[in-house]
Amino acid sequence: MAENYISDSMLDMFLYETGQMIESLENIALEKQNDDGFDEASVNEIFRIMHTIKGSSGVMMYQNITMISHKLEDVFYYLRESKPTNVPHSELIGYMMDVASFITEECDKIKDGREPDGDCTELHGKIDEFLSMIKNDIKKSGSELPAENKYVEPTQFYIAPATNVSSHHFHIVVHYESGTEMANIRAYTMAFNLKDIAEDMYYLPEDIVSNPDTAKDILDDGFKVAIQTMSSEKEVLEIINRCVGIEKIDIKEVDESDFANLAGVKEEKTTLQYGGLVIDLDGPIPDSNNETAKAPEKEALTVQKTQPVNPLGDEKLEGKATDKLAELADKGKEKKAAEKPKGEKREVQRYISVNVNKMDELMDMIGELVISQAFVLQNPDLKIPGLDLTNFNKAAGQMSKITSDLQEIIMSMRMMPLANTFQKMNKIVFDVSRKLGKDIDLKIIGEETEMDKNIIEHISDPLMHLIRNAVDHGIESKADRLRAGKPEKGLIRLEAKNEGGKVWIIVKDDGAGMVKEKLIAKAKKQGLLNNRNEKDMTDKEIFNLVTLPGFSTNETVTEYSGRGVGMDVVVQNLTSVGGSLDIESEEGKGTTFTMKIPLTLAIVDGIVVSVGESKFVAATGNIQEFICVTNDMVIKEPDGGQGIMIRGECYPLIRLKEYFKLKDGIDDIEKGVLMIVEHEGRKAGLFIDKIYGEQEIVVKPLPPYINKVKGVSSCTQLGDGSISLIIDIAGIMKGA
Amino acid sequence: MKILIAEDDFASRKFMLRFLPKFGECDVTVDGMEAVDAFMMALEANEGYDLVCLDIMMPELDGYQVLKAIRDIEVERGIPEEKRAKVIMTTALNEGRNVTKAFELGCVAYAGKPIDQEKFESVLKKLGLVS
Amino acid sequence: MDDDFLLEEDTQKGKFMTFICGEEYYGIEIRYVQEIICMQKITEVPETPPYVKGLINLRGKIHPVIDVRIRFHKEPREYNDRTCIIVTEVDKIVVGLIVDTIAGVVDIKEEDICPSVSIGKDSTSFIYGIGKIGEEVKLLIDPKKLLSEDVAEQLGNIAQ
Repeated sequence: MAENYISDSMLDMFLYETGQMIESLENIALEKQNDDGFDEASVNEIFRIMHTIKGSSGVMMYQNITMISHKLEDVFYYLRESKPTNVPHSELIGYMMDVASFITEECDKIKDGREPDGDCTELHGKIDEFLSMIKNDIKKSGSELPAENKYVEPTQFYIAPATNVSSHHFHIVVHYESGTEMANIRAYTMAFNLKDIAEDMYYLPEDIVSNPDTAKDILDDGFKVAIQTMSSEKEVLEIINRCVGIEKIDIKEVDESDFANLAGVKEEKTTLQYGGLVIDLDGPIPDSNNETAKAPEKEALTVQKTQPVNPLGDEKLEGKATDKLAELADKGKEKKAAEKPKGEKREVQRYISVNVNKMDELMDMIGELVISQAFVLQNPDLKIPGLDLTNFNKAAGQMSKITSDLQEIIMSMRMMPLANTFQKMNKIVFDVSRKLGKDIDLKIIGEETEMDKNIIEHISDPLMHLIRNAVDHGIESKADRLRAGKPEKGLIRLEAKNEGGKVWIIVKDDGAGMVKEKLIAKAKKQGLLNNRNEKDMTDKEIFNLVTLPGFSTNETVTEYSGRGVGMDVVVQNLTSVGGSLDIESEEGKGTTFTMKIPLTLAIVDGIVVSVGESKFVAATGNIQEFICVTNDMVIKEPDGGQGIMIRGECYPLIRLKEYFKLKDGIDDIEKGVLMIVEHEGRKAGLFIDKIYGEQEIVVKPLPPYINKVKGVSSCTQLGDGSISLIIDIAGIMKGA
Repeated sequence: MKILIAEDDFASRKFMLRFLPKFGECDVTVDGMEAVDAFMMALEANEGYDLVCLDIMMPELDGYQVLKAIRDIEVERGIPEEKRAKVIMTTALNEGRNVTKAFELGCVAYAGKPIDQEKFESVLKKLGLVS
Repeated sequence: MDDDFLLEEDTQKGKFMTFICGEEYYGIEIRYVQEIICMQKITEVPETPPYVKGLINLRGKIHPVIDVRIRFHKEPREYNDRTCIIVTEVDKIVVGLIVDTIAGVVDIKEEDICPSVSIGKDSTSFIYGIGKIGEEVKLLIDPKKLLSEDVAEQLGNIAQ
């Protein structure tokens, strides 16, 4: 993991800021790719970005990054000063993306603790050529070239600590001969000697100088030292052996992470947690600190925050430091706060990172709070007649409001707009189509749609795959498109919307579409049809063939898709978050992939119903109505299936008691209730015992151990703390 | 080139002494006070240091104080900017704010420990101290 | 943090949470045990193996519980106030084990554990060893097997 290598906040800061800027650069490039040129604001912005990166990479001494960013800055310098008109825009966009990729790659190397050794001379040369062309044009047009944008070496440098020099970490226990007098002083003498070679050192007991009683402890348990040093074990032992009265020395090399864990060397219980006296203040901060600080980042969840928060933590001082770095590079330009570029004047979003686990915990706690609140407010003790509850109810109302606000906030904290994910697709379309020589427009709709952060993470890979597929297989080559009478430029629509408690993400291309016969032939060849008669297959089933593992319709495997792995992985990823994939395609017109993803952690309105002792919840969105029916409305089909006739329409009848094989529950159709549910235009009647009422429910996944249960999508907690299963209406309908 | 090393930590000192003498004559002090004294003495003798490597965590005066003192002395003596000693801070404190503080005080480089020799050398080159 | 953990690891070595199920004493390594709770309201989940009793709510977290008796093919028994749930965590999966009663924590030295002799092939496979404390014998359960075989079984069910 990266944190093993980087424990250096300067580097972190550099990487973070550079990452941010490169992202902005890409965003601007993609946003403007279809324009004729950059507007003045964009030119300034790009110039500023490159200038800053140049400056900070110069301070950090990453030559290649400095070089390439200077070159691009140079281009924009001329664009800014001379405002030439006939700049080949798409070529420039291409260079911008190349530079962005190059810098990102180098930053990744730095993150991994490697040298950023990428060679940018070729790209540099190309941009240089491009620049001279612009310069020539400027001259030709009669305007004067502005003064050269000279590269000024930074005057201050930051030398990142070497990563390859390894120091050793030892744990040492020294036992003195019994009867040794003033063992504490001897121990101190030894520690003092060791200090010369130590980069960092702790010992136990820690108060050996001031507390003579420690002499006894040392005799009993030995004197324990943790030392970080460049010296070898032999050298360390040599120093220790200079001291007299030593009976035995245990020395072992430990991992850096165990280094601070000196207490662990102790055999018996100790009140000391770790560490002890820090002798050498100059050494690195004890590793345990680093560990604890870094660990949560692993699975950090980015939480939206409205107030400006410094990217590296909200400590004022840090903020200043960030400022300074930018300032250094940007010799007195605009103020930092005003810069963070994000395309046009879009609201700037700022984030802090929070450990996902903490968020989950908080969420659970709030859930508990809501439930215990219900316990209090509906406490039977309050039901005693004659109690005056005016004040109580007032206070209770206030509390309810706060808890529900709390719940809403925690939910919204987990929700993030899809915008970032969608923006990334822009880059993919751009990169892939450029390499394939296609001209494709990506139209994004509904990027403000919000989803749970966890789910977004799960869908970004599948989405990327779908987009690549669309670019690679979906959209035809320019020539083919013209032949088919379509505009040369292909169109991919990426749309997100809320639909019936789910988020639909639709990837639609106007390409060649899929040919059913070809799919079937292909599946046959791959032996994926399993004796199924192709005549029986619905269109949907045929298109779904592409999601089978090992299916790939592309004759030639390309770099971007068509490896035969992919669509099955897409489906797998989707099902893991409870989503599904629908495929529709029309030959010659294009293909539409629709991902339907639940908003899991969102609160869903549900209706609690019971069958026998068991309670179930059904999402209100799926429920059409509840009705009481009579025996004569039941239609018995010859194959044992049942239907119910309501107002002239026949719905499949599903008795939940039988469906779930429950022990008890009502069998007589006239004594229970029929719940009419609807899913994707189909309806069915679910027979239950009783309705309990409506409730907002927090959907929780079934524990992994239980795995998947037919007819149950997830579970939730009811007001009394008990657990109820949520009926998977879509799943049940499939079987009906 | 004359180099002054102020470093209280033995191992680091040893390291610097192994690495720096190839660039010039090195003097070593073990605390901040001594470093300021050495700097003054050198100026008195009219052979000021070209490069000063300051550890930040030092007894008596810390690196920042030494750096500030050095700058004050130089200003007081009217030494023009380009002739002032180049100061490189060496430390394991890589906190961004430390770096900023050091930069504000006018050091030319901030080197995290363990020191990356290659980069250190290339900084010296960029500063024109070695060729 | 790290060292706490290591310390804990150390002190946990050789310690077993023992419980009674039927006639026998069983032991489970204490590092798998999260906590012991008394019997709770269990929500049944349809179409699961009979020993999977359902779900419990533990401070807002939903965990499955399995009845060890049924798991070991013993006669089910009414739960009473001595019935306990041992909440275990194995490979990030938290599962509650319903047992007749808790018999406390014991130390069993490594040399006192002999590997289990496979008598039958089913229920004994959860037992990886037999620990001796004086004259007493504890059957040591490997919770990983107890759970992972289930998972395999369940996946089998779904595939059908």
